[in-house]
Amino acid sequence: MTETTGRNMRYLAIKLLELLATLLLVSFLTFAAFSIIPGDAAGIMLGPNASPEQIARLRTELGLDKPVIVQYINWLGGAFTGNLGTSVAYKLPVISLIAERLPVTIGMSVIATVMVIVISYPLAILSARKPGRIGDQVCSFLGHVLFAVPPFVLSLLLIIFTAKFLNIFTVGRYAPPSKDPGMFIGSLILPSFAIALPKIAMTFKFMRSAIIEQNNSEYVKTAKSHGLGNIKILMTHVLPNSNVSSITILSLVLSDILGGSLIVEQVFNLPGLGRLLLSAIARRDFPLLSGMVFYLALITVVLYFAADILAGLADPRIRLK
Amino acid sequence: MKELIKKTISCALSLAVVFGLASCKTGSVSGDNNAVVGITQEPSSFDPHTVVAAGDKEIIFNIYEGLYKFDSTGKLNPCLAESVEISDDASVYTFTIREGVTFHNGDTLDADDVTYSLRRAAGLLEGGDGNALVAELDCITSVETTDDGKVAVTMDGGNSEMLSYFTVGIIPDGYEDCETAPCGTGPFKFDSYTVAQSVVLVKNENYWQDGMPYLDSVTFKICADMDSGLLELQNGTIDIFPYLDMNHAQQLDAEKFTVESNGSNMVQIFALNNEVEPLNNPDVRRAINYAINRTNVIDITMGGAGVALTTAMSPAMGSYYNTAVDGYYDQNIDLAKQLLKDAGYENGFDLTVTVPSNYLIHVNTAVELASELSAVGINLNIEQVDWGTWLDEVYTARNYESTVIALTSDYAPYDVLQRYSTDASGNFINYSNPDVDSMLALIPTISDDNEKTQLYHEILRIMTEDAASCYLQDPTTLTAVSTRLEGYNVYPMYVQDMSTVRLAG
Amino acid sequence: MKTKKSSLSAAFFITGLILLGIVVLAFLISIVHTPYDPNLTDVTAKLQAPSSAHLFGTDNFGRDVFSRVLSASKYTIFISFAGVFIAAFLGILTGLPAGYFGGFKDRAIMLFNNSIMCFPGILLALVAVAVFGASMFNVVWALGLVFAPTFARVIRTGTLEIKERDYITQAKVMGASPVRIMTSHILPNLMPQLLPATVIGLANMTLFESGMSYLGLGVQPPDASFGKMLADAQAYMTGAPWLIIFPALMLILYILGLYFISEGLRITLSGGDN
Repeated sequence: MTETTGRNMRYLAIKLLELLATLLLVSFLTFAAFSIIPGDAAGIMLGPNASPEQIARLRTELGLDKPVIVQYINWLGGAFTGNLGTSVAYKLPVISLIAERLPVTIGMSVIATVMVIVISYPLAILSARKPGRIGDQVCSFLGHVLFAVPPFVLSLLLIIFTAKFLNIFTVGRYAPPSKDPGMFIGSLILPSFAIALPKIAMTFKFMRSAIIEQNNSEYVKTAKSHGLGNIKILMTHVLPNSNVSSITILSLVLSDILGGSLIVEQVFNLPGLGRLLLSAIARRDFPLLSGMVFYLALITVVLYFAADILAGLADPRIRLK
Repeated sequence: MKELIKKTISCALSLAVVFGLASCKTGSVSGDNNAVVGITQEPSSFDPHTVVAAGDKEIIFNIYEGLYKFDSTGKLNPCLAESVEISDDASVYTFTIREGVTFHNGDTLDADDVTYSLRRAAGLLEGGDGNALVAELDCITSVETTDDGKVAVTMDGGNSEMLSYFTVGIIPDGYEDCETAPCGTGPFKFDSYTVAQSVVLVKNENYWQDGMPYLDSVTFKICADMDSGLLELQNGTIDIFPYLDMNHAQQLDAEKFTVESNGSNMVQIFALNNEVEPLNNPDVRRAINYAINRTNVIDITMGGAGVALTTAMSPAMGSYYNTAVDGYYDQNIDLAKQLLKDAGYENGFDLTVTVPSNYLIHVNTAVELASELSAVGINLNIEQVDWGTWLDEVYTARNYESTVIALTSDYAPYDVLQRYSTDASGNFINYSNPDVDSMLALIPTISDDNEKTQLYHEILRIMTEDAASCYLQDPTTLTAVSTRLEGYNVYPMYVQDMSTVRLAG
Repeated sequence: MKTKKSSLSAAFFITGLILLGIVVLAFLISIVHTPYDPNLTDVTAKLQAPSSAHLFGTDNFGRDVFSRVLSASKYTIFISFAGVFIAAFLGILTGLPAGYFGGFKDRAIMLFNNSIMCFPGILLALVAVAVFGASMFNVVWALGLVFAPTFARVIRTGTLEIKERDYITQAKVMGASPVRIMTSHILPNLMPQLLPATVIGLANMTLFESGMSYLGLGVQPPDASFGKMLADAQAYMTGAPWLIIFPALMLILYILGLYFISEGLRITLSGGDN
């Protein structure tokens, strides 16, 4: 027992070190990418009418006259303390701009993830019970097709569908969560569904294969021969063993959902990070852009590592890979 | 089979949950005493003296007021001034200030506020750099509060064309926070601005015009683009949506919306930078003018709701407009080809058109122009930029080949044409003609209207022959207004006047 | 069991090829001839429903949607193939030495790789295109860069396995240089890994490209791409659904075709699937 705990601790330590190294590299890549971009940040901020003196003054203010490595350390310090400087376009702290948008993006991601789990798992379990049956085949076929539809196309089709037939057109009916939580969640349902559908298809496919694989394994067959009930086998043997793959798949799904929300919110005119990103891109607002890129990457890195660690703890064989 | 049924039911159930939730949130704006106006650009300034973008002006029209104010017919009326006396040589304007007007911060309007505001706008504040914030007020040499509480404005030389510029916003004496906390005398007070979402204005309870405004609040909702704005309009989350084209207007449900229209007094221009090759050759510019079918442009971009333009002024300007140029550039592909051949561009050339991506009408115009110009061998590359970049790179730095934009101006002929003098700050097409320069300098010194009209006609004739640029249309302003509102007036200018809007019935 | 597996893979493969074939056919036709110039506007034919003159109807500029769909398939195919080429090239350039040499080089390259994979792909592509300007070629190399780590990972895993084989050891003994071993012995044997990765890469790239074009950061107007056509159609979608349906259908056919082919490949090459 102690040996296992020791191994787990060691595994955890290695993983955390890796996480730290990756985070440093990610931060450096973000910083470097925005440093090599042609054009002087101060010049861009002040616009074409600025005098050289004004630009020089701003350069000093922003610390752009310091060596690159000092700039990086300053930026990194800022990134981890929540101070990413001031947006050029909006003249507001980057962190507050991001914080203002976060509810939509996080809300959509959470709702979409819940949909993925709630819809794909039961379908996969049902489908895997008797593979090859017509129900299974219909689900599998639908899964394949939905997998191939870009979320923004799905959004458009959903809008047409809901506008024409259900008359519950949701575009634009947005309220901040603090004002009207009901409307906030309601406005995110349809877009979340559009992002979730292809991921439901993907998760369904993986879970179905994983469960079928487990069903064909020796110990499940043994359990069956000992007269254990189907549901009991499912709960005690099949699902725990397929957890590893479901953790991995969910981490992939989450990062895709995050990326997908950036585009889909445009279709529904929702004020999330995607709109801010596009606006930052259009206005060459590099402090804002680098801040957003870094934080979105941060979320993804942490997700990946959390999934990795969980999977590793659940199944020691994974660690060897 | 049982399996399938089970699955279908579970599918249906999950869908029902999803859609059921979606249909719960029908909290609508209707019933509340407010209005939501859709806009498609991010505000860039709330300072009445530094604002340049038309999209900002349409919002702050409700916050600030000037000594004079335009109404929806384009007529200039006294506003914060009760009257004006103009000296015989038109060099001194003396304003009598209206009494009983209070600012949003509670201060009472007096002559000192006006003096401060005009000095600030004209760059005459002590310690300033002397540059006028409002370029057209640069000719003002002094602004003084007179002993009897009036404001005397003195100009360098006479200028009989100044009155329309005294629409510039008046702010409290010494006030400097217009960017973050706009404070004027208008019918609505600034409440909040949330980046990429909205600007909210609330009713000014102490507005000097009794009974107005009617609404408790007005929200200017920022839409990513025309398309999402239209979706919101049809969905009822926007009540008023201006600058539609006829194609869109025709799609709207007549029971839910009325479409108000008015001449916009805008000049949509395919601006050709007169200083870049090969557009510095007037024959090339003429060829472009001949190659284009303006009726088609209007049809494609506005669904036909626009007036074709040959020159820099809209016929809506009445007698100031020179009817002699009508039809000067009717489409003539052969002539266009011949002109290009003579200019040495028999095989055409590549031309980049830089368009602001947030204005669908201009992007669409560029697409149509590209299609038409291909007939004479000109390969038009469309480059889309955001509004901020357009202002910086195209309008201010003039670092572009061609662009499509609508020029807005006050309802005054001089304001339409003053940008074409060689040194004018608004002369982003780099047009330069000494004759036009001297006439533009002459006009403000003349008080006889007939004489001025002759000069305007002459300027328009020269600019047309020079093919200063390719003028396209005066697009009709089509504004969709929800039938739950009434009293909305479309201005022949780029403003949204919300003071007269009220709930229907 | 064997036959069941191969028939399933064949079914996927053939369906995929047929779906893909439709789009490729459109692409081939667009090179030879389109009924109308895809960018030519026609005032007299705005927003017409599908008819014999305009098979897929016309858009708000009076442009022929059928011709535009044909022309758009050209860009979609070009961008996805060029992007995959760049991604595969970069992936080989980094993944092959990483797997072959192992040790510190491997760790360094893979750490770098994994770090890039931490950025949500679409975010990276959008920022890259944004900074260097929206154009078709910038989309191609941005997508190539974004997908390179995926290829590197696949190549590295394959290399790790192949380098242990006897003929590699033999070649080493004969004094072949590492470069030669990698290029002429390992690389050709990586096809079973590279091929499915390529096919799935094409599909994923198209997903990204269409999204970027939808946001206006891909193929620039007046040229047609499926994403941009869908974005333009949004304002008219209730009145003119054909503007949405046909580009969406072609886009889905292309991606679905590629997925089916990759599924067929996967079943053939791997241990199989029920």
